[in-house]
Order: sequence, then structure tokens, then C-alpha cells
Amino acid sequence: MKNKLQIGTNEMFNAPLLFYIICASQVGVGVHGFQAVIYQNAKHDAWISIIISFLAAYLSVFMSLKLLKMYETEDIFGVNLDLFGKYIGNFINLLLVIYSSLAFFAIIRNYTDVINAWVFPELKPSFIMITLMILVLYAFTAGLRTIIGICFFSFFLGLWIPVALIIPLNYANVNYLLPVFSADLVELLKGAYYMTFTVAGFEVIHTLYPFIKEKEKAKKYVSLGLFFTMFLYLFVMIVTLTFFSGEQLERTIWATLSLFSNIRLPFLERIELITVCFWMIVILPNLCLYAWSAFRGMKRIANISEMKFILGMFSLIFIGSFFIETRSEIYEFNNKFGYTAFIIVLIYPMVLYLIAYIKKSVSRQRAGKE
Amino acid sequence: MKNLIIVIAFTFMLGGCAEQKILENISLTTLVGYELEDEGDLTSIAVIRQVNQDLESRVEIQSATAATSKWARTKIDLKTSKITGSGQLRVALFGENLAKEGLDHNLHILKMSAEISNATYLAIVEGDIKELLEYQYKNITDIGQHIYQLIQQNIEHHHALSSTLHEVNRDKYSLVKSYALPVIKKEEENIVISGMALFKDSKVVGQISADDTMFIMMIRERTHNGTLQLELPESTLDGITENPFDELAVAIDSIDSKPVLRLVDPSVPEFDLTIKMECRLREINTDIIVDDPETIKKLEKEINHKIESEIKQIIKYSQDVNSDIFNFGERFRARVRNVIVDKEKWYELYPQMKVNVKVESQIVRDGVFQ
Repeated sequence: MKNKLQIGTNEMFNAPLLFYIICASQVGVGVHGFQAVIYQNAKHDAWISIIISFLAAYLSVFMSLKLLKMYETEDIFGVNLDLFGKYIGNFINLLLVIYSSLAFFAIIRNYTDVINAWVFPELKPSFIMITLMILVLYAFTAGLRTIIGICFFSFFLGLWIPVALIIPLNYANVNYLLPVFSADLVELLKGAYYMTFTVAGFEVIHTLYPFIKEKEKAKKYVSLGLFFTMFLYLFVMIVTLTFFSGEQLERTIWATLSLFSNIRLPFLERIELITVCFWMIVILPNLCLYAWSAFRGMKRIANISEMKFILGMFSLIFIGSFFIETRSEIYEFNNKFGYTAFIIVLIYPMVLYLIAYIKKSVSRQRAGKE
Repeated sequence: MKNLIIVIAFTFMLGGCAEQKILENISLTTLVGYELEDEGDLTSIAVIRQVNQDLESRVEIQSATAATSKWARTKIDLKTSKITGSGQLRVALFGENLAKEGLDHNLHILKMSAEISNATYLAIVEGDIKELLEYQYKNITDIGQHIYQLIQQNIEHHHALSSTLHEVNRDKYSLVKSYALPVIKKEEENIVISGMALFKDSKVVGQISADDTMFIMMIRERTHNGTLQLELPESTLDGITENPFDELAVAIDSIDSKPVLRLVDPSVPEFDLTIKMECRLREINTDIIVDDPETIKKLEKEINHKIESEIKQIIKYSQDVNSDIFNFGERFRARVRNVIVDKEKWYELYPQMKVNVKVESQIVRDGVFQ
């Protein structure tokens, strides 16, 4: 097929780094407040919803990797062009570029909202957004290997967070978790659906696949990354469920941050000020990866230079931030984006895999006949 | 590239202007007292610590009355030379009128603020709250710090129930909607914890004396320290001393106690509560020689009976005022399936609840001199 990707070996990275990439790309702003929404549906069996959500994620990744393996060194944009032709394929690619930009916007807007609510109430959101965007610009122009380095460091620098959450276990009340399995299947599935916004992030594998050196080992490291993130989220959820009583959790917007506000060190009265500011390091890999994915897609559609694209994308996001200002607007946006993420992250790869499988078996039959 | 560095450098310099809070320009509120006035207005009394240039601190007490606590704080700002900040808030006291009216609203406003820590202690004041805070005590220089340490060390030694903002808020939204707060009152030159106030639906419904606090803790959770004074009746301790007595007063220290709860009959509901306790004998009448195992067994048996009867009395009292501070409601809900147990149902069931109490104590040590 024409328009195939050519990638030199010096641009590729080793497969074990996939573990850090997946962990860094999944842990983002969702961790702050995912508990309350899932609890509203699944009640104290919310931790089971997390397991269901991760099973769905694993299935989606499994299918994506099989799909991309069929094409050897293509990313998802190439797959779209091959399966749907030039015009529809480019249209779908454009939709994926818009999705990546919206994901970027979601992360940066939610993070700014957290800073305004917890740390600096009077700071202008646009100031925080510009600062973050300058940082992403720097990492973006430095290339993929720098972005992967950021993932690596962000993973290790963030390892103290689950350790700090052991302290609220002092107040743990196991009765809040019992009786187990009292929610029915529909409620558990609804809870798993609301987890999508938090679990999304691993779809960057679609654009990263051609750059992996040992492609056959990709599945192993992606699975390890998903496993690790699942345990992290389970741990946070169980600490939250035993700490807060039912209705209290429904009213707590950012449950993880409220957990942090209970920790008092001898020299530091409230550590969540430090934690919230530290979170910038946690979301930086997410932002860089989404910006990079969006650029890779855009380059397939129209040959555009790096700087032009990134500045264009940032300007659009900055203008968009004026339309989403209040807490309720952000909440609305998160809901709609969660719906979009559910389709693109979980459903789309499976559909694509089915279509590619059918096409392949049809063309194999045709070749067999000839 | 050089332009980028200049832009980033500017951003860093401007970042220092984000919201300054310099210690020498702020009054730190360490304790706040709330009391309800006649027209529904709230009086806020703030104990403020101010730090001057030489890092010496000075404590002053300011009060104001307004419809909301935030406006009262603004009124206090009109009187102080340095603006008040509430990040250091350690204790929040509520007056008698407010406790009778209901604490719901006040708890909510304490929780809404991102500045106020979850570990703030809450307590009720018996008597006039203004008099307690504004009196010039002979031995107390910083009343905010004094009350904070008074409450904290008593909670650590199990003479008072832990009433941090988090725990009270959690119990308020839980199934039982009942909690207990320490009651402090002014006795001439001292501030004394006189007991615990029982709350139901955020209104005060009863009071327990400070002597019974240890029993409540033994029913609720594992304890590792705490002292009990028991007056054992003479009758069954016949013959262990030469001189007859009416009541033998002993003091024991609980080293380790553990409650084991079993639901026997969900329809009543009926529980079996077994408390296993390891204790050491602190004080006993000099006539009794305790190296005889028979004596120790008799003492243990009497201690068991005494503790059982005390616990039964306390549970009965809390059932009379319908304030489930032992969290039997949550423990009941955790053990039944397919039964809707909500607040209203538990209010009906709790007064009918039966608890079969059994205490198994073991005297491990008894001092260094017999």
C-alpha cells in the first residue's frame, strides 16, 4: 500500500520502555476524583467495577496489537487508510487527531481546575495553561525519545504516592466494603463505564507501535503496565472506600486529595499542596504523548511542519478554554468526553480488528483461488 | 530556541507572584468557637496567633457576630492589623445553643473550605463559650494551643473519643448518623473534659461521663492502652482478705483489648459481643496477696462481671437516646444480605437491639511489689 511508514532504527525504542509509557500515560488527572462517580453507581462494590474496566481495556489492547501486527510497521492512521481508502480513511484519521486534542484539553483543563480549587483560588486558569503548554512545546520539539524519557522519570518520581496513602488506612473501617457483591451486574457495568475516563491513556500504543524495536515483546510489557496501573487504582479505591462513609464519598469531589489532606508531617501541615503541584510531573507525559499522537495523525493527512501544527493546536485549545470555565461546564465536558473515549478507546479497536480480519481472510481466499 | 528560553524564564519570574501569604503578615487562627445568638446569627470567637518580625508570637482573642461565619471572619479582619488565615485551625468548639439546634450547617462549612484540615478536633463547650475563651487564666498563656493539646493527649490515652472533623463528618453521613464529641468546661482556673456528648441527627441528645469513655472504646475497636477504675462488690470475693469490706476498688490498665461481634439473630437484631482483654493491675488493696492463682481467678471473674454490667448500662443508655455511637448499624448492614437497611430502619431497630456481652479478661502483670 502506498503512503507506508518508513522508520529508521535510530528512532525506535526498546520494548521494556512500554511498561513505563503505559503506566505514565494512564495515570493522570482521573486519579483525583474517580471514586465518587463510580461509587454512585456500584456503591461499595466499586472496586469490582475497576477490575471489569481493566479487563475491557486489556481486551482492547490485545485486539489493537493483533491488528497492528497484521500490518507489520504501521500505526493506526495507516491502518485506517488501508481499510477505508483515502478519503474516508483520512476523515477517520482527522477524527482521531481531534480526539487526541480533546484528551489534551481535558487533562489540562481538569488539572487547572484542581489547582484553582485547592491551591491558588485567584490564579487565572489561562496562566497555568500557558505554562504547561510551553513545557509540552519544549518536550514535543525534542522528539519521541525525550517524551519516553519523561514517562520513565515520571513513573519513578511518582512512586511515593501510593506509599503515602497507607497512612489513611489508620481510619479504615472494613465494614464499609461488606457485604461484597451486593450490587447487581448492571450497576457494576455502569460503574465500569464511568471508569473509562480514568483508564484511557493506553490508546497511544496505536501510534507508538511502529517505533517499538522488539514488536513481539510488546504484548508482554503492555500487559505488565496495565496490571500495575490496575493494582494502583484498586489500592486507591479500597483505601477510599474504607475511609469515607457512603454518602460522604458521594459528596467528596476529589476523594484522593481529601485523603491526602489527612496526612500531617512534623514539618509540613498539609501535604496536598505539595501533591497537587507535584501532579504536574504526573500529567506531563500524558500531555506530551497526546500532542505527539495528534501530530503523527495530522502529518498523514497533510504534510505540515511540527511548529505550525503544535502552535495551531495550542491556540485552538487556549481559545476553547474560554468556553469551559465553570465547575459545572467542566463536569459536562468530562461526561461527554468520557463517552467519546469509551467509543474510541474500547469499541473502535475491536471493530477495526474485525474489519481487518474479514478483509484479510477475503483477500487470502481470493489469492488462494488465483 | 533562545527566545523560548527567555519566555520560560519570564514565566518562572512571574510565577512567584501567584498568591503570597507571608507569615509575618497573617494572623493564624488556631482555635475557633461558634455560638448561636438569638436571631439565628453566629458568633465566631477566634483565638489568633500573630508572629512579628523577631519571630515572637502573641496570642489574642477576637470575636464577631454575623449570619455566616465567613462574614464574621471579615468583621474580625476589620479589627486586626493582620489578615486572618485559617490553615492552622486545630480545634473548633461549639456552644451549647448551637449543639441543641444542630451542627449540620457548621460541619458543612468547615468541610467546604479547602484550607481547613480534616484533622481538626471538634468539641462542645458546657457553659458560656465566651467566658471560657476570654478569661485570663493564671497558668494558661495560649488557650488555643492548650485546648488542642488537652484534647489530643486525652484522645491518645483513651480518656476521650476521637472527634476529628473527618470522623465526625464520616459518621454524620453514614448509616447511623450518630457521633460523640468531647465536652469541655471551665472549672475556675482549669479547663476540664467533663464527658462526651451524644449526638443524633446532629443534635445533642445525651451525655456520658468521662469515666465511661474507655468502655465505649472497648466496644468499638481494638485498644492498646487506657485505665479503668472498678469497684468490685465484696460478696463473691469472700475470704481473700482478712478485713471485710463493702467494695474493693481496683485500677487496671488495659494492655490489649479486642471486641468480637457476631450477629446471632438478624430479625431482632441480636448480637454476641465478646471482649477479650489483657490487663495489668495498677492499684489494689494492700491486704490482698495476688500471687495466689485462685485469687487472681476470682478477681478476673469479678472484673468481667463489673465490666459487663457497665457496658450493658452504656449500651442501654445509648439505646434510650437512640444514638448509635458504637456503629452497630454499620456492622449489622455488613452482615446481612438482601435487606435494605437505611437510616430510618435503623432508628426503629436500634432501641430493640439486644447485645449479649461477655468479657474475658486476663490479668497479666500486677506491679513490682506485692
